[in-house]
Amino acid sequence: MAKSKAGKKQSGKNAVRGTPNRQFVAAIVVVALLGVGGLGYALSHRGPSVIVVDPNIPAGAPQGHLMGKADAPVQVIEFGDFECPACGNFATITEPDVRTRLINTGIVAFHYYDFPLSQHRNSFTAHLAAACAADQGKFWEMHDRLYAGQDEWSDLIDPGMTDPMSVFRRYAKELGLDVKTWENCVTSQKYTAQIKGNQAEGMRRNVQQTPTIIIGDQQVNGVSYDQFKQLVDEALAKSGKAKADSGRKSAGGKKGAAQ
Amino acid sequence: MTRRMAIAVLSLAGAFLAIYLTLYKLGYLQTLACGTGSCEVVQASRWSKLFGLPVAMWGVGFYLAMFVLAAAGSFGRLADSPALARALAALSGFGVAFSGWLTYIEVARLHAICRYCVTSAGIVLVLFILSALDARGHASEPE
Repeated sequence: MAKSKAGKKQSGKNAVRGTPNRQFVAAIVVVALLGVGGLGYALSHRGPSVIVVDPNIPAGAPQGHLMGKADAPVQVIEFGDFECPACGNFATITEPDVRTRLINTGIVAFHYYDFPLSQHRNSFTAHLAAACAADQGKFWEMHDRLYAGQDEWSDLIDPGMTDPMSVFRRYAKELGLDVKTWENCVTSQKYTAQIKGNQAEGMRRNVQQTPTIIIGDQQVNGVSYDQFKQLVDEALAKSGKAKADSGRKSAGGKKGAAQ
Repeated sequence: MTRRMAIAVLSLAGAFLAIYLTLYKLGYLQTLACGTGSCEVVQASRWSKLFGLPVAMWGVGFYLAMFVLAAAGSFGRLADSPALARALAALSGFGVAFSGWLTYIEVARLHAICRYCVTSAGIVLVLFILSALDARGHASEPE
């Protein structure tokens, strides 16, 4: 009996050692076919590709995104690129203080102009994502999310990141945007003309790099809060002096007229 | 079908799953076909890369290694190899520990679950169980 059991076991092993088991081969073939078929399907049913800027859309009128009181005494303009690391540093390190101490206090009106650089592959899509968030009143929320999350979608940091839209879609969801409307806006390139217009405005002002920040009549690149504040103070002093001068002139004129 | 053949078949299925996630991470797929869960959150997180490569790509390597070992150990001289059984058990044991850590990250840190990752963790667990049973079976036999 024991001998017969041992014999059976041995014959089972011999069967394994022999030609490949049919069931096994069939299972491998089925899994391979399903796998290759599934991957083929997924690759052939990809979503819209990374946005290619439509060359036929002409540049529109420049139109920045405003933060703060439009009639604040100091007007500040930033030409920024969402994929530029220096802009990311400015947005996440310097800008929070600028907002709290200078914009929220009514001293500065801050205008953001798009200046996506062509060497940054995912940047234009990011600018469209922000412009389309502005459509739903959330430009600055998307602006902050894009800069804070650069390492998640930037082609510079992750060369394999060829689909920033999957990340931007998540941001849109997190910010509570109507994602479908937002995505239609992005993929239809609704704001391409405006972004090109802002770029053209930057070129007109001889912007050479990003971020370029114009405070009053001073044009600078990435600055610390202290430098920013100093330039704002200078601009305030100049505008105060200009106001005083114009006040004196007008008072003198009135005096003269009265005499 | 022997346990090792089952391991080979399951490893091949796991390899395709890992290839799918790798293609997504490398940008060849725009969206994950993911009706539920938070695959994009998980795939976009900083834990989705290890030593500069997508975690899913390491997964492809793991599954292919399991497949090759198990398929080679299903026939011929290696069919009786306890060393190969131990190698399968050790490799899949490492896989269980690693996918357990990834699942912990999903639940505790990201608060997001990717169903593909959970499926992969399940496959790895089954592979480990089969490998452990296979190793135990071979341990009782004389070398």
